[in-house]
Amino acid sequence: MAKPTDFVQGTLDLLILKTISLEPKHGWAIAKRIQQVSQEALQIQQGSLYPALHRLEQQAWIKAEWRPTETGRMAKFYSLTRSGRKQLERELANWVRLSTAINIVVQEA
Amino acid sequence: MRILDKARLRLRSLCRRPNVDFELEAELRFHLDQLIEENISSGMPPEEARRAAQRMIGGIAQYKEECQDMRRVNFVEDLVQDLRYTIRSLAKSPGFTGVVVATLALGIGANTAIFTIVQGVLLRPLDYPKPDQLMYLTAESPAIGGTRNALSAPEYTEFRQMNQSFAAVGAYSTGGAAYTTGEVNLTAGDRPLRVRSISVDAHLLKTLSIQPEQGRFFSDEETARWTGTLPPPIAILSHGLWRTAFGGRPLVGQKVEIEGRPHEIVGIMPPGADVMDNHTQVWLPLWLHPSTARQRGDHVLYVIARLKDGVTFEAAQTELNAFVDDWGERVGTKDHVPTNRPLRAVDHTLQLRALQDAIVGNASRPIWVLQAAVGFVLLIVCANLANLTMARAGSRRREFVLRAALGASRGRLLRQSVTEGAVMSGAAGILGLWLANAGVRALIRAYPTGIPRTSELTIDLPVLLVALGLSTATALLFGFVSLGRGRTSSMVTALKEGARGASGAWRHYARRGLVIAQVAFAVMLVIGAGLLVQTVYNLTRIDAGFDRSRLVTFSMTLPMANSDPDTRAQAYQRVLDRLRSVPGVLGTVAMSGLPPNRTPDAIATPIENYTSDDGRTFEIIDYYQFVMGDYFGTMGIPIVAGRGFERTDNASQGKVAIVNETLAKRIWKGQNPIGQRLRPPGGSFGATDDVWHTVIGVAKDVRQRGVERPAGTELYVSLDQHGVSPPSMNVVMRTTLPPAALSGTIQRVVREVDAAVPVVRLRNMDSVFAESIRRPRLLAQLLGTFAGLALLLAAIGTYGVLSYMVTERRREIGIRVALGAARSHVLTQIMKQGLQVTAIGVTIGLAGALAVNRLIASLLFGVQPTDTATIAFVIATITAVAVLASWLPAWRASRLDPNVVLRDE
Repeated sequence: MAKPTDFVQGTLDLLILKTISLEPKHGWAIAKRIQQVSQEALQIQQGSLYPALHRLEQQAWIKAEWRPTETGRMAKFYSLTRSGRKQLERELANWVRLSTAINIVVQEA
Repeated sequence: MRILDKARLRLRSLCRRPNVDFELEAELRFHLDQLIEENISSGMPPEEARRAAQRMIGGIAQYKEECQDMRRVNFVEDLVQDLRYTIRSLAKSPGFTGVVVATLALGIGANTAIFTIVQGVLLRPLDYPKPDQLMYLTAESPAIGGTRNALSAPEYTEFRQMNQSFAAVGAYSTGGAAYTTGEVNLTAGDRPLRVRSISVDAHLLKTLSIQPEQGRFFSDEETARWTGTLPPPIAILSHGLWRTAFGGRPLVGQKVEIEGRPHEIVGIMPPGADVMDNHTQVWLPLWLHPSTARQRGDHVLYVIARLKDGVTFEAAQTELNAFVDDWGERVGTKDHVPTNRPLRAVDHTLQLRALQDAIVGNASRPIWVLQAAVGFVLLIVCANLANLTMARAGSRRREFVLRAALGASRGRLLRQSVTEGAVMSGAAGILGLWLANAGVRALIRAYPTGIPRTSELTIDLPVLLVALGLSTATALLFGFVSLGRGRTSSMVTALKEGARGASGAWRHYARRGLVIAQVAFAVMLVIGAGLLVQTVYNLTRIDAGFDRSRLVTFSMTLPMANSDPDTRAQAYQRVLDRLRSVPGVLGTVAMSGLPPNRTPDAIATPIENYTSDDGRTFEIIDYYQFVMGDYFGTMGIPIVAGRGFERTDNASQGKVAIVNETLAKRIWKGQNPIGQRLRPPGGSFGATDDVWHTVIGVAKDVRQRGVERPAGTELYVSLDQHGVSPPSMNVVMRTTLPPAALSGTIQRVVREVDAAVPVVRLRNMDSVFAESIRRPRLLAQLLGTFAGLALLLAAIGTYGVLSYMVTERRREIGIRVALGAARSHVLTQIMKQGLQVTAIGVTIGLAGALAVNRLIASLLFGVQPTDTATIAFVIATITAVAVLASWLPAWRASRLDPNVVLRDE
């Protein structure tokens, strides 16, 4: 149950921000969505997801509200705030830069 | 904006904790349900689906904890939790808690008390505006060891006119002039009081920049015109005297009788206003007799000066040196002026020092010694507590490891330990402050004059900060020590080792090291205390030159203003006669200066057929003693040659005198002093002329200015023969009665003679002696207390470590006993370990003591810092204590029943 490294944690933040950038989602949906989109490659552990959500909320990058789901149950939906959107842009830019750099190194070497 | 949002969220997390918890619970529950649903829809039976989901999701509680961590409010939450837990766990072991809090409170209390004195006496600036500008100017006579003497009136006025460095220069006097000592008789209503006085000029009040609370100061006119026969009848009262003696009623402009004359009260000083720690109660205008004011030989004025803004002490000192270089030429006289080459006994030079240093004087070294001593005590306390805490941590290891296994982070455990430390240190800090406050008060009550500036001693902000700092430091120490070895230990070993607890070599050595340090510090303290106790013992055993047993003394003053020397002599004679007839009184005499603690007179006395090495026909005699009655018989002072005063002398024309051995040796150097003649100035005791006195006897030396100082030269004159008397006299009675039993009679007798004269300092001679050695006694008592504390703590430390060792080795000892080891062998083996530790500690402590004891050399009397007897005694004491502390655990070990021990395991 080791804590995620900075790299992974940063990536998780990016994944979460990206996933809820289109529409508000609850925790379960976020995990499912990442799993589906990554074709089951990325399994988000609950143990990482909820602390991350709370941290992001604490940073005021996402906000939460209780809303009914399609089945009528109440769930906590997270959506991006304005500063969250800016943060997403920053993290995306970082990610592109970083992954491009890694790709170059991995393929050239 | 984001900051506000964040703050709002944190606040919400903190304040609406139940809601947030509930939401979190609901959120995680929702997730779990989704997972179960998914499992069911993939074909699992519901019960199994639930179990699988729960397995997958792990401990909900832990996520909650992590989410809360993310919210960063756990700090406050944990603190409350820690506090609650700490108080519960401390209450569970009241013995441990009690010992820790009590010893720490003693340590902090002692340190705070002494630091209160350091701060109040040495560090805190004087209560005047810009106090660092204030300087004290004194005359120094290095050739005869005279220091901090007063200046002559001409020197004072000349210096005030010459200097460029000072904004103001003022003078005061506590003796001489019209008021004989630093005290005056004052009548409040019909109550005669003896109050502390000071005579100041207007310049001094300007120099100190103090303002009266009511009324006005003296004017230049009133304090600088030294004419007539008496000072102007005006006075300023201290706030304290105004409140206590006059109930604080309006007094300015009214008359109060001082020294038998009505004085107009022109002002009231603000609370705390004082000069040179004099405890002044009444301020009088400075006034000198016109002849004294012209005399360069009469050193009567103490001078305080205030530097101009921007002028340094060095610059002022350089300027003063330049004046002293050619003072004679500057003022046009060769007669007794300051010089930079004070080679002869009569020469003097002038010296500047900071006023604060002048007030604190030589009290600063003892105070720093005490501060160092309590510092050692605190170190010992900390070593002891570290040891105790380690022992406790040993037995709590399992608890900590278990909590770590359940997910508590190392930081969280450390915080718990520090909280425990903080709770105990906090309690000890509060208790310590209370102790310090009580201690300082008791100290001032017991020794009102033992320490300078005591009237201003309070526990102020810097002192509070120091106490707080000490508490915080010890709290942190605890935390780290408690957790100590946790870092390197593996959880599994600790849990496996179980209740026995692990005790690695590190912990073992650390604990022994702590005990060694305690013993070493204790040795240093006990040696220091031993030397000071020896000093006090030596001081009390000094033969002051007279028989001090069964003597009762008091003093009284017949004011000069309303009595002349003849009527004074008759009044004293009446007092002495009436006291002699009291049953139980064996003899009554009166004298001008009460040995063994009086001020020197230093009077230039012409001597017949005498020329000193540097060509003088006079000698400065240190003490004049004017006596009434059978002085030598009643005081028990042996006459070593010739005879004492006799009644028949009173009628004879030829005036007689008696000298002490030192004077006889100094002047007549082996010749027979009997029959030689000297001419004491009549003005010094109320006679009109200077007449030649014939030496009729030599008396054994009597210590006059402190028992520890060698006797000076002394001349005795019989007032009975002259029929005159100086205003102030000390009466001494040889009696079988205590002072309290005589008090009523003495008051009545004195009242019958003069109702306006108070009886002061009524006490027995033993308390006069105690008073004269009050400072070494105070130092010895305090240091002795601290050393005792140190010894006790070191003993507890040794005992603690050995008992812990015995507990740890129960099994081993049990097996050895079962295999046939002799119990006496077990006993000696354990004791040997205790004594080994003590021996190392004693060796280190001795080395330390030899290194630092030089620092107290100047505080010792009749004993060397390396005194072997004291050191041997200290080693013996510490060894005895160590034997005692080791014996108990060793004995317990030797009593172990192998059956019980081995069954327990």
